[in-house]
Amino acid sequence: MSGDGWIPTVCYQCKAECAILARVEGGVVKEVKGNPRARGKACVKGMAGITSLYSNERLKYPMKRVGERGSGEFERITWDEAMDIMETKLTELRDRGEAHKFTYSMFPHSVTDPKWRFVNACGGFISTGLPHCDSAKIMAHMHTFGCFPNHHIAPMYYAVPKGGLMILSGRHPFGCLDDACVPSHILDAKERGAKLIVIDPIFRAEAAKADWWIPIKPGGDAALFLGVSNYLLANDLYDKEFCDKWVQEGDMDGLKAHLKDMTPEAMSKICGVPAGDIIKLARMAAEAPSACIDAFKSIMYGNGMDWGHAWSIFLVITGNLDNPGGQPLPEIAPMAPVEPVPPAPDVTELGYHRTGPDRSQFDSYKFFLQPTWYAAQAIKDDTLKVFFASECNPALSEMGSGEWRKAVTMKDENGDYKLELLVVTEIMPSETMKWADLVLPDQTNFERWEMLYMPWWYNYGHCAALCQPVVEPIGESRHANRVFIDLGKRMFPEYFAFKDDVDYYDIELAGVGMSVKKLQENGGLWSPGTVGFRKYEDAGKFNTPSGKIELKWNMYKDIGREWPSPELPLEYRRGEDEFPFVLVNFRTIYLNNTGAWSQNNAQLRDPVSGLDANPCLLNPIDAERLGVKSGDVVTMESNSGQVKLPVELTEKIIPGCAGIIHGFGQTMGKVACRGSWVSDNELISDAGTTLDEQDLRGGEAHVTTRVRIYK
Amino acid sequence: MKQLSIMVDLDRCIGCKTCIVACRNHHGLIDHEYDMPGEIPYYLRVESKSEGKFPEIKEDSWVVMCQHCKKTPCAKGCEEGAITKDVQTGIVLFDREKCTGCGECVEKCPYKVIQFNEKENYAHKCNLCYDRVTHGLDPVCVETCLTNALTFGEKEILLMQADAAGKQVIKKLSAQSIVYVKTP
Ligand code: SF4
Ligand code: SF4
Ligand code: SF4
Repeated sequence: MSGDGWIPTVCYQCKAECAILARVEGGVVKEVKGNPRARGKACVKGMAGITSLYSNERLKYPMKRVGERGSGEFERITWDEAMDIMETKLTELRDRGEAHKFTYSMFPHSVTDPKWRFVNACGGFISTGLPHCDSAKIMAHMHTFGCFPNHHIAPMYYAVPKGGLMILSGRHPFGCLDDACVPSHILDAKERGAKLIVIDPIFRAEAAKADWWIPIKPGGDAALFLGVSNYLLANDLYDKEFCDKWVQEGDMDGLKAHLKDMTPEAMSKICGVPAGDIIKLARMAAEAPSACIDAFKSIMYGNGMDWGHAWSIFLVITGNLDNPGGQPLPEIAPMAPVEPVPPAPDVTELGYHRTGPDRSQFDSYKFFLQPTWYAAQAIKDDTLKVFFASECNPALSEMGSGEWRKAVTMKDENGDYKLELLVVTEIMPSETMKWADLVLPDQTNFERWEMLYMPWWYNYGHCAALCQPVVEPIGESRHANRVFIDLGKRMFPEYFAFKDDVDYYDIELAGVGMSVKKLQENGGLWSPGTVGFRKYEDAGKFNTPSGKIELKWNMYKDIGREWPSPELPLEYRRGEDEFPFVLVNFRTIYLNNTGAWSQNNAQLRDPVSGLDANPCLLNPIDAERLGVKSGDVVTMESNSGQVKLPVELTEKIIPGCAGIIHGFGQTMGKVACRGSWVSDNELISDAGTTLDEQDLRGGEAHVTTRVRIYK
Repeated sequence: MKQLSIMVDLDRCIGCKTCIVACRNHHGLIDHEYDMPGEIPYYLRVESKSEGKFPEIKEDSWVVMCQHCKKTPCAKGCEEGAITKDVQTGIVLFDREKCTGCGECVEKCPYKVIQFNEKENYAHKCNLCYDRVTHGLDPVCVETCLTNALTFGEKEILLMQADAAGKQVIKKLSAQSIVYVKTP
């Protein structure tokens, strides 16, 4: 422990992992602020992190389930017992030749996360584990310009020049999921004369500051930008020089042919944006010195891959790759491997859990992550037997959470649970914990060691930040990384020969000439401080198989998906009569939607400092048709579930849509379970209902569904 | 007259409430273990206003804290003399020792920013981070504001800065010592 004063560490109230300073006085954290060495800001969740640390609901001891799964009844056990339970089950699984039927759902803080190492050492796992939301974007960027998976990486707003366009498409950067300094950087860029364009069915904080708010039909982003691209090509307004030099031969002609009929007029019919506005956007993009797009919710639709493809095409034909104000191509800092490295599972051989009618079609997409919804399918199929979860919340905050909850309570003919062991690490009660066999008390970011190596980090693109304990841990809590290093030492000593987590980080940091101690001495951060621009010019190539930008995705030739389709996702195109509204679920700055830490945080759930209610937002035009007024309680129903909630009328939502906030509905915890709050995921059935199409379009319907509403 | 002040830039405030939580932490306003939503005192609050019909909508957000009024209705209401306007800084200060807990100031404050501690029977509110600003630091809300929407300084200087940036003072939000500005 470093004593009193302002101590650098890293926030983990959400996955942005901002570098912060914590003020410690007499062994107690009193205040938090952004670390100025990292252009420091911390958001409201980060500030309220102290309330999570000192909540009297902190889990303090390991616990074992005593009632049925889902009853939430536990008894206290020792850490030794907990370790024995996990070791016994995993060893048994391996001895049965089923080691791959173990999966760990987590958010790896870096590719070097020791939990991930543990999973690999276990001998392969079925790839249902990682919760993820924008893998369609990652895959699209990789396919097109070989960009390293830049999960959550935002355009570098601090680099947007005067006149540059910042386009947010279903994205809420003022909600801080990239880095808490992003909102001020966007506003600074605006003050420099950049333009902010917000494309969203709901008018939110970004739209309030935007130069132009473009309301759109949910899922219409691909159509909108294909229309823009059509106009740019048809009118010779694209960056010809850039394309001639960098785009794979033949692709521009192919693109022109593919986009021929996707005129602004034709696309307007799909996305609901007037053709004149599509043309205006295209002209603005052609005239601007730079344009970038940031999208998030819109990439989580069943047509996410089409949108990712259309987005990539737009960036390429406007020449906005790795230029100031365009799409950054991140670099990876050379962390040292901790030898010997356990081999990663061969997912091609072990398979994914995609369970569409024609699995082979989906398999061609080569996703490296799959949503945990597939875990439910895998449990039913007896291909998943042990499930661990850290910093994620499949019982509540992922699509098809109902499916998941059902699956984990399914029993075989002997009356045993089909899923043999469910382990959850948590810092305070979460919905998922209710179903766990084993609950391991985790540590907050104020109590643990962790090296955050983030190739996607906003500030400099690549860096290392040190999360260090600033106070003594509460109870017997142990950080998940330390737990799985210890379990690794028991089970796979060859792969866990280092001393502890700090030693592990030291080895990795040696790759950049750093160590934990040096990081401590230097304000908790390491970064070369630059990512540079147009790195492909220095390299003379892009990181694709051809070395050129590949607009045409030849790898999907067999399934006829070389070019993007403008169609809305199937979930929106069918069932319109029965379910007239499109559900738009959105996030806010007050919630890290997966974590019990922000759902059950007194300051974040306070009506003055956070968010206290989750009403259904409706446009007055729709409300009048339904005969409802603000405050009326309505039933909202999809083809998979229903919830009851009050209505709030607002001009801020596009007619035909119903808005609710994602991440509510927790029934555990004194603060979280107050009031009639509902979870959107009760309504979002699962990807399963439209898999026939998603298998073709490579999307995952995290957020897409239609609903009906009645009093 | 001497007056320290905060300028609130409506072009930049996004209503995120980061300042509220930062202020609470700094002033120890929350018992992290036991406080429940709806019961936690606060020295700032966020207000917002939207206008127009879909899709032509405008919305502004801003924060309201003690306005450190020129004529201090709260001080006038306090018979104990627990509330004073500091001559050095223009900050309206509460003296907890002198406060008898009559609650008169809470009634008199036109901006409804005075908090009352029922358990220990005293009134309290934003003191413009007196202990910080008199040592050369910015108030906590100013330092932590997510978007740098807040600026601290002498009121006259802030008004000059606003003018130079082409921003207008929004008189109807406060004609007191917290200055609200926006590009017209
Ligand atoms: S954005 Fe996330 S990591 Fe950053 S301060 Fe806010 S909660 Fe913490
Ligand atoms: S000036 Fe200080 S006391 Fe007043 S609202 Fe801001 S942070 Fe709170
Ligand atoms: S932190 Fe800044 S932007 Fe956020 S509500 Fe407070 S004043 Fe407004």
